[in-house]
Amino acid sequence: MSFRVTESTQLASAQRNLQLSAQRLDQLDQQVASGLAISKTSDDPAGAATLLDLQRQLAQNTQYQRNAGDGTAWLGTAGTALSSMNDTLNQVRDLTVQAANTATQTPSSRAAIATQLQSLKQTLLTLANTQYQGRSVFAGTSDAGSAYNPDYSFNGTAGSSVNRRVGTDTTVRVDVDGSSVLGAGPTSVFALIDSIASTVSSGGNVGGQLTAIDAVASNIRGAEATVGSAQNQLTGATAALTTQAATLQTTQNGIQNVDAAHAILEMQTQQVAYQTALAVTAKSIQPTLMDYLR
Amino acid sequence: MSGNLLGSLNTAFSGLAAAQAGIEVTGDNIANATTPGYVRQQVDLEAVGGPAQVGPFAQSAAAGQGVRVAGIVQLGSSLLDAQARSAGAAAGYSSVTASGLSALESTLGEPSGDAISGSLSKFWSAWQDVSNQPGAPAPVAALLGKAGSLVGQIATAYRSVQSQWSQTQQDLATTAAQVNSDASKVAELNGQIRSVAASGGDVNALITQRSTLLTELASLSGASVVNNADQTVTVSIGGANLVQGTVARSLSVTGSTTLEGAAGSPAGVQWSDGVGPVSLSSGKLAGDLALLAPATASGNGGAIAETAAKLNTLATSLAQQVNAVSVTGTTSTGATNVAFFGMSASGPAALGLSVLPTDPSGVAVAAAGAGAADGSIADAIGQLGTGAGSPDVAWSTGVIALGTATSNATQQSTLDQSAQAAATGAQSSQESVSLDEENMNLIAYQHAYQGSARVMTALDSILDQLINHTGLVGLG
Repeated sequence: MSFRVTESTQLASAQRNLQLSAQRLDQLDQQVASGLAISKTSDDPAGAATLLDLQRQLAQNTQYQRNAGDGTAWLGTAGTALSSMNDTLNQVRDLTVQAANTATQTPSSRAAIATQLQSLKQTLLTLANTQYQGRSVFAGTSDAGSAYNPDYSFNGTAGSSVNRRVGTDTTVRVDVDGSSVLGAGPTSVFALIDSIASTVSSGGNVGGQLTAIDAVASNIRGAEATVGSAQNQLTGATAALTTQAATLQTTQNGIQNVDAAHAILEMQTQQVAYQTALAVTAKSIQPTLMDYLR
Repeated sequence: MSGNLLGSLNTAFSGLAAAQAGIEVTGDNIANATTPGYVRQQVDLEAVGGPAQVGPFAQSAAAGQGVRVAGIVQLGSSLLDAQARSAGAAAGYSSVTASGLSALESTLGEPSGDAISGSLSKFWSAWQDVSNQPGAPAPVAALLGKAGSLVGQIATAYRSVQSQWSQTQQDLATTAAQVNSDASKVAELNGQIRSVAASGGDVNALITQRSTLLTELASLSGASVVNNADQTVTVSIGGANLVQGTVARSLSVTGSTTLEGAAGSPAGVQWSDGVGPVSLSSGKLAGDLALLAPATASGNGGAIAETAAKLNTLATSLAQQVNAVSVTGTTSTGATNVAFFGMSASGPAALGLSVLPTDPSGVAVAAAGAGAADGSIADAIGQLGTGAGSPDVAWSTGVIALGTATSNATQQSTLDQSAQAAATGAQSSQESVSLDEENMNLIAYQHAYQGSARVMTALDSILDQLINHTGLVGLG
């Protein structure tokens, strides 16, 4: 059957074609204006699935980076404190060596050494109570005001550790257990210095205590090494997370964002097509036989 | 008897009458050129043969006795009408499902990052922040804020889904009422057409009215039409008659009017005379019913109820998974066995979900016996979003399934609409009025009229010659 063309079929198809053209134009317009290729799931279900996954990974990544930053600050605080402790302990050792040389000591010089030792012990105690954001970095998960009480007893929770998560399966320990480095109570380094100071005041020989001081110094250096390697781990993790974030972001942009140049070009083309359709329609629906009958 | 001059005058007059009838029909066509559903008409002309020549006085062959208007016919095609109606029924179904699914999709607002899946990510991150600073009030306050907005989003989405269900249910009822009113009008027109046709009147205008109603009925209910010998039509849905002769049956909507009630009493359409459910396979009614169907265990129920079920599952699994970890921890005040999310015993889970702690001291952050500033429970909860069985994964799977269904439905709707456009195009190509054609017909009938008038003039002059001038030769 040949297709019979009448005014109303012409009008209907012109209307339909113009409508389709306008719809395509509107779609492109929306894409260009929002900059989004996927603004709803049905635009591209597979792409949207990837997008949701990427968004989740990015949120996690951002959080892990925050965790790593916080961990680095903890470790930095602990590391600085440990290195100062090391210096202080060296001074204690020097004074002890000086005092052990009993032949050159006078009662007044012994009293002076004892006073210095007491003051160095205070410094060490203050360093042991170092805090980051209100938390003692040597007291584990304890929320007590200080790691050590004035009577040298340790406030930390035994066996606990403070960890920061930098990956789904990776955590890094960011605190140092004060009691395992400095001891606690009567066996602590503070009690040791007290006993050296009193021995020095009373004129006794403190040469035998040097081993005990060296043992603590080695503990501190060990803890410094642990802190350093943890810091390295965090630096490495942060670098990896930053790279991953950049990759994720790029992939996400690739899926979600519209290729502006392409979309604008397509929109221009569509605009020309639409205007052509309008012009042609205006011409083709005008003439009827009546224009030519007299 | 041929050769009768007065008879020839009569022949010329029949030509005048036929041309006049042609002009009248052409005028009617032109007047209705833009009337929706109008089918162009044509005068059906028949030549009237000459009388048979018998007997001894038979002369040479005789001319015919003019023209006769046999009727005015509509140039419609019942095949094209049926095709247009069935394409309309398919388009009616798919456009309802496509727009329903699109509305659901935009309710959820994924994947914008501000929608539920984005809020879930923010919620898990907030737990990590709490774990970094156990005991500090600010991160916990931020966590409670994030949890509150997540719970609010789930409830809001559920309410939107609920209201979409009610709107669709109302639409179903309105559509059924419209089908009933159309059916009774068709039955009434059937009666009028039958009686007018029996008395030999012109039924074309009535048939045009009825055909518009039939097209609407098809797109609403997928009804099919059978033309009967007495010019009436029989309309049936799913094999059962809706209209037969002058009798119309009616449909009624059954089932619960709320989303929750529909699980036990699904929405349906029944024959009002109690013969059971109407078997609907296409048209708007079937589309509404498909959207309103209750959720099933396999997840292939009605889209609205399935989305509501997904929101409920999300709320339930969120509460269960977070609480399972939370009850093993200790709060800053030392309280143990503390749940984070509350769930009301009755009603939908998506609306019953609530955040229990009202201040930072009510949140279990530390593992039991691990020190007051421990954050391992908060860390463990923060990790719940990463596993394969996490609420996030289940939710985004659901969102993608809905997106895929929407995309398919939209494509199907576009296809069905172009099929409908093609079918109505073919129908209107056959039935619509072409002004060019009508103008040509007008000229043809005008000329025919002039021709017949000219024949009359000629006969008149011959008769004048015969009557007034015969036998007067030489009398002058």
